[in-house]
Amino acid sequence: MTIITAVPPPQAPGDAALIPLGSSRFVPGPLRFLGRALRTLWSNGKARIGLVVLSLIILVAIFAPLIAPHSPTATSFTPYLDPSGDNWFGTTGNGQDVFSQMVYGSRVSLLVGLSAGVIATLVAMTLGLIAGYRPGVIDEVLSFVTNLTLVIPGIPLMIILAAYIQSRSVWTIIFVVAFTSWATGARVIRSQASTLRAREFVTSAVFSGERLFRVVFREILPNMTSLVAASFFSAATAAVMAQASLEFLGLGDPNTVSWGTILHDAEQQSALLTGQWVIAFAPGLAIALLAMSFTLINFGVDALSNPRLREK
Amino acid sequence: MTRRTRSALVCAAIAALAVTAVAACGSSSKGGGGDTPKTGGTLTIQAGDSGNPTLVEDFNPFQASTTGLHGTFLLYEPLEFRSPIDGSFTPFVATGHKFTDPKTLVFTIRQGVKWSDGKDLTSADVLFTFNLLKKFPALDTNGIWAQVASVAASGNDFTVTFKAPNVPFAGVVAKTLIVPEHAWSSIPDPTKFTNNTPVGSGPFTLDKFAPTQYSMKKNPSYWQAAKIAPSEVLFPAPATNQNTNQLDVTSGKFDWSYTFLPNVQKTYVSRDPKHNVYWFPPGGVITLYLNLTKAPYSDANFRKGVSLALDRTTIAAKAVNGYLDAGSQSGMILPNLKKWLDPSLPDQGIVKQDPTAAQAAFAQAGYTSQGGKLVGKNGKQATMSIVMPNNFSDWVAAAKEVANQLGKVGIKVSLDLPQYAQYSSSTQAGTFDAAMGGFGGTGDPYTDFNNALNSSFAAPVNKPTANNFERFKDPTVDQALATLAAATDPGAQSQATYTLEHVMYDKVPVVLMYYGGSWGLFSTKNFTGWPSADNPYTLPTSYDNSLLLVVTHLIKS
Amino acid sequence: MRYLVRKTGVFAVTLWAAITLNFVLPRLMPGSPVDAALGKLASSGVPITNAQRRAVEIELGVPHTSWFTQYWDYLKNLVQFKFGKSYSFPTETVAHSISNALPWTLVLVGATTIFAFVVGTLLGVFAGWRRGTVADSSVTLGATFFAAFPPFWLGLLLLYFLAFKYGWFPIKGGYAEGTSPNLSASFLGDAFKHSVLPALTLAITTLSGWVFGMRNNMINTLGEDYVTFAEANGLRTRTVALLYAARNALLPNVTAFGLSLGAVVGGSVLVEGVFSYPGLGNLLYIAVANHDFPLMQALFLVITVSMLVAIFIVDLLYVRLDPRVRRA
Repeated sequence: MTIITAVPPPQAPGDAALIPLGSSRFVPGPLRFLGRALRTLWSNGKARIGLVVLSLIILVAIFAPLIAPHSPTATSFTPYLDPSGDNWFGTTGNGQDVFSQMVYGSRVSLLVGLSAGVIATLVAMTLGLIAGYRPGVIDEVLSFVTNLTLVIPGIPLMIILAAYIQSRSVWTIIFVVAFTSWATGARVIRSQASTLRAREFVTSAVFSGERLFRVVFREILPNMTSLVAASFFSAATAAVMAQASLEFLGLGDPNTVSWGTILHDAEQQSALLTGQWVIAFAPGLAIALLAMSFTLINFGVDALSNPRLREK
Repeated sequence: MTRRTRSALVCAAIAALAVTAVAACGSSSKGGGGDTPKTGGTLTIQAGDSGNPTLVEDFNPFQASTTGLHGTFLLYEPLEFRSPIDGSFTPFVATGHKFTDPKTLVFTIRQGVKWSDGKDLTSADVLFTFNLLKKFPALDTNGIWAQVASVAASGNDFTVTFKAPNVPFAGVVAKTLIVPEHAWSSIPDPTKFTNNTPVGSGPFTLDKFAPTQYSMKKNPSYWQAAKIAPSEVLFPAPATNQNTNQLDVTSGKFDWSYTFLPNVQKTYVSRDPKHNVYWFPPGGVITLYLNLTKAPYSDANFRKGVSLALDRTTIAAKAVNGYLDAGSQSGMILPNLKKWLDPSLPDQGIVKQDPTAAQAAFAQAGYTSQGGKLVGKNGKQATMSIVMPNNFSDWVAAAKEVANQLGKVGIKVSLDLPQYAQYSSSTQAGTFDAAMGGFGGTGDPYTDFNNALNSSFAAPVNKPTANNFERFKDPTVDQALATLAAATDPGAQSQATYTLEHVMYDKVPVVLMYYGGSWGLFSTKNFTGWPSADNPYTLPTSYDNSLLLVVTHLIKS
Repeated sequence: MRYLVRKTGVFAVTLWAAITLNFVLPRLMPGSPVDAALGKLASSGVPITNAQRRAVEIELGVPHTSWFTQYWDYLKNLVQFKFGKSYSFPTETVAHSISNALPWTLVLVGATTIFAFVVGTLLGVFAGWRRGTVADSSVTLGATFFAAFPPFWLGLLLLYFLAFKYGWFPIKGGYAEGTSPNLSASFLGDAFKHSVLPALTLAITTLSGWVFGMRNNMINTLGEDYVTFAEANGLRTRTVALLYAARNALLPNVTAFGLSLGAVVGGSVLVEGVFSYPGLGNLLYIAVANHDFPLMQALFLVITVSMLVAIFIVDLLYVRLDPRVRRA
């Protein structure tokens, strides 16, 4: 029925949500559900750390103009300054304040991570659900496309896509990154959807004459909320990493500042050689913290769906 | 399958040359020691070879400046070397040249020069070499046969006849590396020939090749062997990434390397203050090319406004660490080409930032400042997208500063940083707004101006051209270029050059910004005599024919 | 049997599609191989002349025929395993470049993958077995933290501190300058020394995937009835953990291992780049940067085929190991 029947084994937190839950038909109201989900997440120690780190980064992004002491693009400082009271992280070879760049950079890095995560998850969800619910030709074709995307090496594919789309903007990056990070999620969602398809409540819905979209989105999807959430955080982690790679290679949007472009500039301006290791260290660490916060939240998402993984 | 065939061919080539190779090795052990005491020692050069991280064996001298290994410049010799700094000539295979008329150039071939296999180098070899270039255009990387009608050899004379008068082209003809007819005449396709057992007339012969490094031994039968200090030269492969190369350079294993280093005093000199020296002479002018087929850049007044709005000294400080200064809008690289500079140009042609004058120039082009925005007659703000390759860090740094400064006069500037190939196709096709690029650096005003301004290169948009990206067309310029090409008398040469300088200064076909450096890093631990501000015999470029000139100047420490 | 036939059929179609995609993708990039080759010259500040451009054009022999003709030639050559000449290294055949680089990647990435799998799985077993303890938390948190490092960034830091600043390891390459690859003890030792930092970078950043997977599997298996039953029967906890739980929890991880072995061939583009390692990842980057269609096509082919073969084998193995799949 598909090329790859084998369910991808759990590789990272989040995939564990795959493990079939003793799910019932009961679907709580969205707000109550969200509240309960957040409470369960918060009760998980790892997820708590993740939520705190992510919230901090979001706060920095929102209040960037208040936090940053200088403009991130103004080239008004002496180049290659070491960290000082005025320039906490030193200055770039262009005479920009690196600390301010880091603060403002959180905006683009978050925007790309979250937007690409959302887009990738939407694509993964749509293709995965349809493929999982419609065995036969549709499933074959969609799974075929998914697998094809999986086997083409990611970074070269990103370089080619980034070169192909001539006008470079943040949205180009979001598109390229989303394009290369939806496939894993689609596979996971597909296999879960195909298990759910056989469940009684879905069968009964089908027999009562409900249409495809209604069945998929009203009956199957609500039972996969945690899986979709997990896919989102996995995709967002992948997106943050992919964005960093793309920007490190110099294929980012040159007119904005993000952690990846700071890292690229640090490399281009030989920050390590001049002994300004902070400029190379800080953006990498920030990227790592953002990616880590997503992974940690996913530990909590796992626990949401799989009681066995809950902390005792 | 393919591999086996290839190795078999290589074996055959080795067998054919085995006798001569042994002979060369034999004499090497005799000649090395003796007469001059201050010789010997190993010279290690970072030559920026491509093919990283592992080298591909290719000592084809006709590909030395494109895809081959740069060390090849020590294996073969040109007729003469023209200094990229002031255009003066240093003789090698030829002892000199003269124009019998503006279309006829005669080189005198040096006598007593031997190939590394012991055979004599004659004018027949020179003739053979030029005919080889004619037969295989892929080898003709300097475009000799686009200018030359015929070549002939008689006795020690080698005569080149041009299609049209082209005195400055002598430098290009002269730098052709000469190959031995007896070794090359039997090669069926020299464009695919990797020349793994090279026979040359240069100061060194190939010793060993490994994918990470190749080495050369001194050629004892070299005609000026007494002037060659090193007994061995090593060329290690560069790293894939620029950062690692910089770290490698500062680790002190090279005698000569060519790399831009920020804060060079701290990052390089201070690591060995007794020996580490650097020389960063101007090697060209980094330029803002404006697309003259597009409005408002087609208006000279607008371009003048852009030029006047720029603080070139700050741009140079940001881009190249202040190692080099603002460039002269005359097109002359100073101080290298000072003797050609028109004394009537104010401030040596260096344009100072002048916001008032800039606004006046913009106003003449129909653009006025409204609320901090430079707005045209159509009511729209002037915009500019500057394209440059993403890995040319100094260009990127300069462009960021340009964006800043033009932003202040009200132009909305955005940067476009694709990979090189994409940059190149957009500049060549003329589809850009503005582009960073290089100007000059050949040491010869004619060639510099001709490449940048000759209307014959100004192809229509979407038809690629490698020169005159901005697509400038001006009959005065074409006339002056033709005069300069045919002039053999210094007075006439100066007059034509002055005309070109004035066009450059008044019409601003390209905005010349700051001098691009030639990043020579040297260690005097093993050798001295490196090119320097006091003795500027060539640029410190370790990837071209400067290699030959430098090794003939080195003295053992 | 029908299952096998269908699998093989689908495999063949996917393979064809991947091959076609490998042909199309490189050609989507704007800019030509000639421009890319000239870029190396231009980066040194020399203005490129039309003459040089023409000479490079002839030397590379970039085809001017239509995509359709090129595609037909590409398929014909592929069947005969002819990959042509590369544009980045005009005197080398693509097959030669790849066969030079392949062993380095296979050994480096292969060994690292196996190492990360073994150590990661063991850590995962340990964390799952000791879940809720400080040891579990430190292993999971540590793994999460290190997994979040961008590999090239970690590589740069290791390179700077361990190779440049303290000089414990070589700064670049796969082996010492002036040596050629051979099988002597001194060369192998030297190659090992060069591989430590890239291997460390890859191991640190990939380890955690195995830890998480194994930990979750362990926790799930430990909750199964038969484990509880075994414990109730008085078997020692360690026996239970290793003999029953870990063995069963390993199954999904083993299949993932198969897939990641398939991905080994792709190497690691950025990490190999940072360390100037002479492997396929680096070659792939050079190919992309130079618009080297022949080299890119061949590398994509090698990578996609080995991934597809790995997926195919894993699929078949899975059916043997878990009969439930066949019914699904």
